Amino acid sequence: MKNILLACSSGMSTSLLVSKMEEAAAAQNLEVKIWAVGQDKAIADMEKADVLLIGPQMRFMKKKFETAAKDFNVPVDVIDPVAYGRVDGKAVLAKALELIG
Amino acid sequence: MNKFMDFLERVLLPIADKLNNNRYLSALRDGFMVALPLIIFGSIFVVIANFPFLDKFLSEDAYAAYQNALGPASAATLSIMGIFVIIGIGYKLTEHYGVDAIYGGVVALAAFLILTPQVLEGVSGVIPTSSIGAEGMFLGIFTAFISAELYRFFVQKNLTIKMPAGVPGAVSRSFSALIPITLTLSVFLVIRIIFSYTPFDTVQNFIYTVIQQPLTVLGSGLPATLIAVLLIQIFWFFGLHGQIIINSVFDPIWYALNDENLQAFQAGTELPNIVTKQFIDTFLVGMGGSGMTLAVVILIFMIGKSRQLKELGKLGGPAGIFNVNEPIIFGLPIIMNPIIIIPWLIAPVVVTIITYYAMSIGLVPPPAGIIVPWTTPPILSGFLATGNAWQGAVLQMFNIIVVGIIWWPFLKVLDKNYYENEAKGE
Repeated sequence: MKNILLACSSGMSTSLLVSKMEEAAAAQNLEVKIWAVGQDKAIADMEKADVLLIGPQMRFMKKKFETAAKDFNVPVDVIDPVAYGRVDGKAVLAKALELIG
Repeated sequence: MNKFMDFLERVLLPIADKLNNNRYLSALRDGFMVALPLIIFGSIFVVIANFPFLDKFLSEDAYAAYQNALGPASAATLSIMGIFVIIGIGYKLTEHYGVDAIYGGVVALAAFLILTPQVLEGVSGVIPTSSIGAEGMFLGIFTAFISAELYRFFVQKNLTIKMPAGVPGAVSRSFSALIPITLTLSVFLVIRIIFSYTPFDTVQNFIYTVIQQPLTVLGSGLPATLIAVLLIQIFWFFGLHGQIIINSVFDPIWYALNDENLQAFQAGTELPNIVTKQFIDTFLVGMGGSGMTLAVVILIFMIGKSRQLKELGKLGGPAGIFNVNEPIIFGLPIIMNPIIIIPWLIAPVVVTIITYYAMSIGLVPPPAGIIVPWTTPPILSGFLATGNAWQGAVLQMFNIIVVGIIWWPFLKVLDKNYYENEAKGE
């Protein structure tokens, strides 16, 4: 079971991505838990996550999240803007799994 | 062009980073988030209490009784929102330092109440609700910053009473907070006493006249609003969340203006402000998301020929109704798109000016101070935000058309571009 946490300003636009990523995971028979939160809750939810991906519009917060993520050993990355715009669940899922390793 | 974009990106990213990671601004933003559910609860009941035509159906007494029955819902939340914001800021700022945050929240509230005059027109033992609502907003914010800083400073200096081992955690925590709270609140008591010897009499009065009033007057004007709107658009053009960056600076002003309108609306007097939190959230952002892209989605359905835009319309349309437009911003794309920057910057400015003047000449009532959640679909949100006025809904419809007209030629060019590329690819 892989836990993937997404964060944007209030967890609205990333939640669009969650359902697409779940579809992609189901198609590949992967067991994953994916959820989206607002940026203010991201740090609190980090310990339950294996990876944190943030919306490209929040990329100026990457440093802050990375510092917090060190304690939990959670990789943090910014979602590719093109994949974000297309709500490309498959690509973002692949990226998340790659980061988890 | 690319070099220039790179340069701007290199300038903007650090600004966004600074503004967002500043501990005070993020405590401020998160503090407002704490208050938001309560504010929305109160707003819902203001809407219900002021349903249109109800005053025509009910007798005067029945209508007054109806409004009185629902009054406490907003009186206990929306009208005294300062209290919740103060607790929220105190909590979040203390939490930032890793100090027991709930004490940071209550010490901020106590410090604020120490500075608040507890007398009204000669009657003592009362706290005027205006001073814990809009008027006290700025004082509350400063007080929360300073008290939380002092509290965590005293805690971190280890000025606490140490309990012997074996005392339950909760008990020892309540004692460990004692000295830092005593020291912090004493500072505020001294401040209050000092101010009582000045011509301002109270700190509340001092902050209100020297800082809050000038800032809100400035913030309620068209020029400052246009600057804020343009900055939001520019940040978004570079794919950075404009509101979250700019709002942390403007929210205290916009909320204070909002509350002034709410008080007037409930008292049935003339609404003093046009620009308020809802002016921005309902008439600019709440038109399909930042940059008012619901009109763009509609336009895509009307004129889009390329597969790329048609797909985008299907993808971004449903979310756009609820003012979530990241698919449009990153998918059209709006970011770094030299064709799109023109309508992207012009449309919000034009709509801001139209909305401002429509309200200032009285065609449309100004926002009534009701906080409508930003995910409320346009037309409905315009109706609710203006205190159930149909003119608010019509203004939004009109503005959607205006945005559509401004975007039309540019979207046409973009669509043609995509269409030709797709044809070439086949």
